[in-house]
Amino acid sequence: MQLFIRRYGTLIGFVAILVFFSAMLPGTFPTAKNWLNITQQVSMLMVVAAGMTVVMVMGDFDLSVGSAASLAGIVAALMMAAGQPIWASVAVALLVGLLGGAFNGVMVSLVGILPFIATLATMTMFSGLAFVVSGGKTISGRAIPEDFGNFARGGIPLGEWGGVAISLPNLSIIAVVVVLAVWVLLEQTTYGRRLYAIGGNMEAAHLSGIAVKRLRLIAFSLTGLAAAAGGLMYASRVASANPVQGSGLMLNAIAAVFLGTTMSRHGEPRILATVVGVIVLGVLDNGLTQMSVDSYVRQVLVGALILLAVAASSVTQGRR
Amino acid sequence: MSLNKSALAFAGILLATTAMGTGAALAQAKVAIVTPYMAQPGTQFYVEAFEAVAAENDWDVNVIDTAGDVAAVISRIEDLVVQNVDAIVINVDPTQVTAGLQAAKDAGIPVFGMDAGADPLLVTNVTSNGYAMAAETSTYVADRIKGEGNVVLFVFDAFPPVQVRGVIADAVFSNYPDIKVLDRVTPDVSDGGIADSRAKMEAILAANPEPGSIKAVWAAWDQPALGALQAIEDAGRSGEGIVVTGIDANPQAREAIAAGGNFEASVAQDFAGIGATTAEAVARVLAGEEILQSVTYVPTKLITAANAAE
Repeated sequence: MQLFIRRYGTLIGFVAILVFFSAMLPGTFPTAKNWLNITQQVSMLMVVAAGMTVVMVMGDFDLSVGSAASLAGIVAALMMAAGQPIWASVAVALLVGLLGGAFNGVMVSLVGILPFIATLATMTMFSGLAFVVSGGKTISGRAIPEDFGNFARGGIPLGEWGGVAISLPNLSIIAVVVVLAVWVLLEQTTYGRRLYAIGGNMEAAHLSGIAVKRLRLIAFSLTGLAAAAGGLMYASRVASANPVQGSGLMLNAIAAVFLGTTMSRHGEPRILATVVGVIVLGVLDNGLTQMSVDSYVRQVLVGALILLAVAASSVTQGRR
Repeated sequence: MSLNKSALAFAGILLATTAMGTGAALAQAKVAIVTPYMAQPGTQFYVEAFEAVAAENDWDVNVIDTAGDVAAVISRIEDLVVQNVDAIVINVDPTQVTAGLQAAKDAGIPVFGMDAGADPLLVTNVTSNGYAMAAETSTYVADRIKGEGNVVLFVFDAFPPVQVRGVIADAVFSNYPDIKVLDRVTPDVSDGGIADSRAKMEAILAANPEPGSIKAVWAAWDQPALGALQAIEDAGRSGEGIVVTGIDANPQAREAIAAGGNFEASVAQDFAGIGATTAEAVARVLAGEEILQSVTYVPTKLITAANAAE
């Protein structure tokens, strides 16, 4: 029974939340339109959290993802404002994220600094860089090409549902693609299995011939790349960029991964569990807004829920 | 089994109809305010004044603070559209939340700007009139120096809301044949604007050492006025009667004005008035009226030593 609660408690809680909102908001919550909205609203967090899952599999953290997301948005926006084509701006911004992540990887795996401290430092650095290159300003309006902002507003039309035209948002499609890529990487490749081995016991992994340093470096690079992608999606959604706009993503990404770990057998991060974690956070925001619950009360509830989920899985674990 | 299912379906329908029934019976207008900037002092004044008018109209007001997250403003507007609220009020640059505004427009839900910026997707934006504020202080300066003498301008044309203030100062001063604009300075604002304005003013004072050679300093906002004031005082020239004015009436400026020195006037925006006027605009639209002005201006107030302490 205890094992059952530990393993499926979060999932049961998730279903309970869905049933609750569906009962309270029968006309609006369980509709295709609303769910497509939710997938779009969580898409940026989904991408960043998917990247975060990769390093958290090894028991590491990346606190710099929010700053990296902001920096990527700023870099792309500045390049577009300078008249560069969108594809080039996006490519350079992604490269900045990848290099930033690789820098984290070097600090953590080659220099040997604790990830918490190394990425805390780079978080400040990336944030500072975003301020330096942007001069602290928000880049918006005519400086941003219309096509870039329109991308986040577009999607693939799915026809009509109850008289409302609905479409699958582009941002949701990107999130699904990134999740699939991370799923293949972590669950279907030797690389992924080795990351789990490092997470299980780094020393043993090293002794069994796994190139721990190289693998960690690559993992941090991928997290940086995903953070940049999330930052670009954010910039497209708000058709603008400012040097702090991604900062909220970091804690939510870690929270989502933690919520996910309560669903796996040994409490290790799994990408599909992270997806549920992200959706839980998104659904709470969506449903509570529709129920007109005060936004500050909402924050308290979300925090309490994370504690409850993690406590439910760790208390039962401790008793064994 | 089939009995169970139909019972369940029946319960579901019952639940749905009761929910719909209560919704119709209440018929209380649902209005939501979405802002990422609740922590900023001005915003709280807008919201409180808005809520006061909303209470008179018996609206169900939902204030949503996304704590700095602009993308979340779009998400919350989408949620409100799904919820089918009667009106939405935003306090954020509309060009950054176009995705949400478009969703509201498609659903026929009116969106109002509360000091947000003009946008074709808004019914109206309620704000202060930058032209009028600049007219208040530039005419104050012209009157105080009796229409003659050298004036120093501090402007910032790169920022549109401040640029319009400079346009008015140019127009007013050029309309007096005996007023000469000695210098039109754009200070470096990366340090907040006070320090560089002070340095620029020190240089201008040094270049014009004769008492009376500078009659006034007109600044497009308070920081350069405070910087110029410091320069004048430090140069020992506060006794020459150089008139300094700013705009915005921030606490530091009010203090300087109340002290009775060279800094004589500034203009205060009526934040509470903006909130109340926004609520009145919402009420008009909910009553079926069409609002033609894309911007609704709320009067501002000239602040001098007489009322600076209020």
